[in-house]
Parts: sequence; structure tokens; C-alpha cells
Amino acid sequence: MKKLTDKYIWKSLKKGDLNAFSVLFESYYSKLYNYGLKISKNETLTEDSLQDFFLYVYEHRENLSDLETIAPYLFLSYKRFLMRMMKKKSRFKYSDISNENVVDLEFTADELITNQEIVAFNNANLTKLLNNLPKRQKEAIYLKYYSGLKAREISEIMNINYQSVVNLLHKGIKSLKEDVSIAKLFN
Amino acid sequence: MTKRKYNDINDFLEDESFENWVYQKNGTDINFWEFWIANNPDKSDLVNSAKDLILGISFKNNNVSEEKVALEWQKLQSKIKDKEAKPKQKVILLKKFSVAATILIIVTTGFYFLNRNSKITHKTHYGEILKVKLQDGSDVTLNSNSSLSYYKNESRKVWLSGEAFFKVDKKKATNAKFWVITQDLSIQVYGTAFNVSTKKKKTDVFLEEGDIWLSLKNGETKQMLPGNYISYSAKENRVLEDKDIDNSSLKTSWKDGTLLFEKLSLEKAMEKIEESYGYSVVFKDDKAKNTLITGAVPLTNIDICIEAIEKSVDVTIIKKDNSLIISKK
Repeated sequence: MKKLTDKYIWKSLKKGDLNAFSVLFESYYSKLYNYGLKISKNETLTEDSLQDFFLYVYEHRENLSDLETIAPYLFLSYKRFLMRMMKKKSRFKYSDISNENVVDLEFTADELITNQEIVAFNNANLTKLLNNLPKRQKEAIYLKYYSGLKAREISEIMNINYQSVVNLLHKGIKSLKEDVSIAKLFN
Repeated sequence: MTKRKYNDINDFLEDESFENWVYQKNGTDINFWEFWIANNPDKSDLVNSAKDLILGISFKNNNVSEEKVALEWQKLQSKIKDKEAKPKQKVILLKKFSVAATILIIVTTGFYFLNRNSKITHKTHYGEILKVKLQDGSDVTLNSNSSLSYYKNESRKVWLSGEAFFKVDKKKATNAKFWVITQDLSIQVYGTAFNVSTKKKKTDVFLEEGDIWLSLKNGETKQMLPGNYISYSAKENRVLEDKDIDNSSLKTSWKDGTLLFEKLSLEKAMEKIEESYGYSVVFKDDKAKNTLITGAVPLTNIDICIEAIEKSVDVTIIKKDNSLIISKK
């Protein structure tokens, strides 16, 4: 019995092993779907783009470089793939995403657990305050706490260094805490 | 535990024992950090920031359903096959007969959904073993008090509660997988013989021959090799047992109607009897619990079963209503 490492799965995929590909698909479908839906806000587009994306990965498997961890590669390439599709679909609708690396993610109240571990965050306005954070802080927060990725993986996806990821998260959480306490004063 | 210096926030974030303290997970780590924090009051701001960063914001688990993922995989798989088999001809055909094709699709999807709804379930009572042959030629032996269901058009995907032994036919041409889904995990099979048993809070899988992959509820994937035995609980979110078993008949003899015990305590052995026959077992004498039993007992006749146990270990078993009362001779 062995636990499958990313490296092993990736190697098998490159050799054309459909079983390994199905393991990859099943482990990442949900996470990429949620990420794609956050970016595109469109269920059909997310579903279609994921089909095309995975097909693209499989068809180009022989040209893929060797990987130790798969998550950053999949998140980053899928983001690019999806944004290209969005641009093709409508030039006007998504005109605000001219910069490929920055996305504006929006959180909804029903995604948040009402009983937060950090007591200060048990606040009705949390979603609103969260959405008011700068885009890059929001993306780091999403990838860390929603997708459950490690800071090192996030740094590859956002194309910044490790320290910048920690700083983004730190600033985000800190200003959120301050915002919450200010919001409490006015309630 | 580390004795290094903690000067900036990264030193805390990169320390596993610190994270354990934040989640109150490991006694030694908790003690260490309580002590460390009390002795380093100047670092309390850093400690709090690092703690906040680890805890962060809690989001709900918003997973796409297993069925949906399986459906999307099937879609992708057929696309891959289409591309690999004569891609050019396909395009021409589609253009020529696009109207006919549209109609055909509507009709088949109609059938598809009709068929999907016809779910077939096989159930066994206590003391009953059932052999089922699925449409694709796979053999399933269902142990007592178990149930197996699948959709008529999709007999290579089955839901199991209880215990079953599978002998799955390999579909060489299509590489089509066989799926077994339980409350704790799903198993992907590529032609193989294995045993699955679900209990209240766990699922046990034993692989006799071939090759299977497990997808556990917690998202982990594991490949099993022949002789591997794994017990996993989704509720506890951990693998309870992971070992190799040389004598495979200990795990699979039930399918031929007998239970094999090899130096098993009478208490454990009687748990098996409880599960198979639905009686509840009462030990009048605690000492009898630890007596070791070796031998075979039948699974479909409780009276012979009782007699066999009485003969091999020194106990008297009285059957009364729904209980088996055990006392030392």
C-alpha cells in the first residue's frame, strides 16, 4: 500500500495512464470548479472550460514539465485558460480583466461558517468587509483558507515570492480584524 | 519540539508544533507552547498574529458532489476516446447529419434518464448469503444483512452497505472502470477480486488479487496491492488499520458460507456472529471473552454454528429470543 505522491501521479499521466489521470481529475475537479466559478461567476462557462482544460492537459501531457506538486500548476494554468475563454466570449462583459494576473473574487455570506474560530470574525458584516479588501489580498485569502493551499503553492499561482504571500495574508487578516472592531462600534 | 529562535512571524508559521498548539492537537506541543508563551511575554504580539494567520477565515466545505464529478469524468473520457479514434471522419459525419444527430441525442438522453431512475437493490437478511451476477459479467457475493444497489444502465457502479466480495471482469477494450461506493470511501477497480465491508463507522477493504485505487472521504487517494487490508473511518477522518494479510481466506471465507477464526478472542469472534445472524451476545462470564478460538463455523445455520463454537471452546451458549447467552462450562 502506498500513498500516491503528486510526482508519481504526474509521471504516470505523462506516460498516458488514464487511471492516473482520473485520480487527478477527481482530486482537483471540485477545487478548480469552485475557483473557476469565483472568477467567472458563470456555472456553464466554468463547467465547459474545465472539460476543455482537462482535455488540453491530457492532449499535451507529453510536453508537460516534471512536477513535484501539482496544485500550483493546475490552478495557474486553469486560471489563464478560463480567462482566455472569458475574453473570447465577450470583449465588453469582462473588459475589466485586462490584467491576466489579477482577479476580483467576491465572497457571499452563505460560504462563511457563522461560528468563526477567531471570535472577532463572528460578525454579520464579515462578508462585506472581506469583499472590500484589495483584490490580491482576497485572492490569497481565497487560495489559503477556501482552497486549502500552502503559502508556497500560492506564491507560484500568484507569481510572487513566499514572503509576499505571508504579507498579503497578514495584512488581509489584520485589517479585517480592525474593520470588524470599527464596524462593531457603529452597530 | 524545537529550541530555535523565534524572531519573526515566519518562524512561527513554519513550525509544525506551533500549528499543533493553535489547533490544540498534541499534548506535548500544547504544554511546550503554553510554557514558552508565559516565558516570552515580549513575543505575545507575534504569537497572536501568527495564530490569527493560521486560523484565518473558516469557509464551508463546498464540494461538488461525487456523482457530478463522476459524470464529468465520463464526459471527458468519451471526448478523449473520440479524439484518439479517427478524429477527421467524425467531423464530416457531424456536419452531414447534424439534424439526424440532434434527434438521436434527444431520444437517447430521454432513455438515459428513464433508465437512470430504475435503481436495482439486492438485500439480504441475517443468516443469508446471496450471489449476484451483474450485467457486465462481474460476480458479487453479498453477506448477510447487507444491501447492494445500482442503476440498470450503469451496473459497473454500485453502492454498498454491509459486506460483499467482488470478482470484477476486466473490460480490456474500453478500460471501463468498476466503482464501489460506501459511506467512507469509493473504490476504483480495474478487474480484480476484493472484499468490502462497511460497519457503523468504518469501511474495511481487503484486496485478494488485481489492482484497486481508493478515494477516501477526506480527499486522499491510495493504491492497494494484493494482500493489503485497509480499514478507514470517515467519521474519525483516519485510517484505522493498514496491513498485509497472508491468509486471505480469513477475510473472504464467508462467501463460501463459513467464518474462519484463527486464534481470535471469543469476544471478537462473537461480534462477527452478531453481525451475521443479528443476535445480540451477552457474556455471563467475562473470563470467557478472552478465550482464543480457532476453527470454522457455518454462516447460514445458527444452531450448528452454536454447537461448533461450544465444541471448540469450553462454553455453553443458550439461544433466547434475540440473544445468545454465553457462560463457562
